[in-house]
Amino acid sequence: MFKQLFPGLLLGLTLAMPAFAGTAADDIQVIDPWAREVPPGLTTSAGFLGMKNTGDKEHKLVAAESANTGMIELHTHINDNGVMRMRPVENIPVAPGSTATLQPGGLHLMLMMIKKPLKAGEKMAITLVFEDGSKKDIEAEVRHFSMENMKH
Amino acid sequence: MLERARAPGTGYTKMKLFFRLFLALLISTSSVYAWSLFSGSEEGRYPGMGGDFTLQSAQGEISLKDFRGKVVLIYFGYTSCPDVCPTSLGALSAALKKLDSKEMQQIQPLFISVDPERDNVNKLQEYSRYFHPKMIGATSNLDYLQALASRYGAYFRKAEVENSSMGYAVDHSSTIFVVGKDGKLADMIQHSDSPKRILEHIRAVLGKNI
Repeated sequence: MFKQLFPGLLLGLTLAMPAFAGTAADDIQVIDPWAREVPPGLTTSAGFLGMKNTGDKEHKLVAAESANTGMIELHTHINDNGVMRMRPVENIPVAPGSTATLQPGGLHLMLMMIKKPLKAGEKMAITLVFEDGSKKDIEAEVRHFSMENMKH
Repeated sequence: MLERARAPGTGYTKMKLFFRLFLALLISTSSVYAWSLFSGSEEGRYPGMGGDFTLQSAQGEISLKDFRGKVVLIYFGYTSCPDVCPTSLGALSAALKKLDSKEMQQIQPLFISVDPERDNVNKLQEYSRYFHPKMIGATSNLDYLQALASRYGAYFRKAEVENSSMGYAVDHSSTIFVVGKDGKLADMIQHSDSPKRILEHIRAVLGKNI
């Protein structure tokens, strides 16, 4: 029974696809992605970006990957009366029409086990993975700390 | 003061003088303390807080005492902190760049690692110099650091983090402690302050201490 139904179901889903809004990767517009230059001797850093949801349903960033890191985790900071607690989050939701911002002191991509040191001015290729499995390749600009403070 | 009390007179006179001096000292200290509670003057802005310490750096032992006559800027953090520490140290560095060389001569930035397990003195030196060539990186054993942090009103605690390959993070306060030229805690700069605000805090302490 199931074996017979399965191909039909698969076909049905494939045909129905265009009726849905685009994938998360299509709907999410990435704004100003950047990563912080790594101080010498270290292999951890952080990546930041804005994600604007131009679609009509909620999307979630669930993971990120890069060939230049051993691991990327989604983290946030909780400012608990002046004590900064860094914790992983399972996903970063973006409501339709709104923008989620990953920025210093809050949500960030924690770049771990960095293989080649990040140097200011270079680009770092990162792939964002969304809840529907769609992926988006981005190029994060590597910035020295003095470049981020100029923006304040 | 007590030294001088021993010099003149003998016996009873000496005792009386000593007692009077003691009384005078008691009255003056307590009134300074009482005054500080009302006025918030720099003398007793943080009564009972701060104080001397000795730590290990790549240059050997360093003590807060070594920097009398300078304004010391202290930040407690750890090098594998990917965001909060670089943000604060970056803002501090941006503020220091605005000081002229005469002002900078009177400044000593100090990064104290609260993660001696992962941060050795050489790593700390490299890390600190990345943010400012004059910044010293130092650490000690955990018990000493815990006591030191609590004297300054800083907080840190190793936090095991689930679902992360980070192993552990260190929850910590992100405050820049400003120690005046007299070695006393003079000001605290909060995490969210901009380089401009940090500069104002530093200049205020520099000005008071000349």
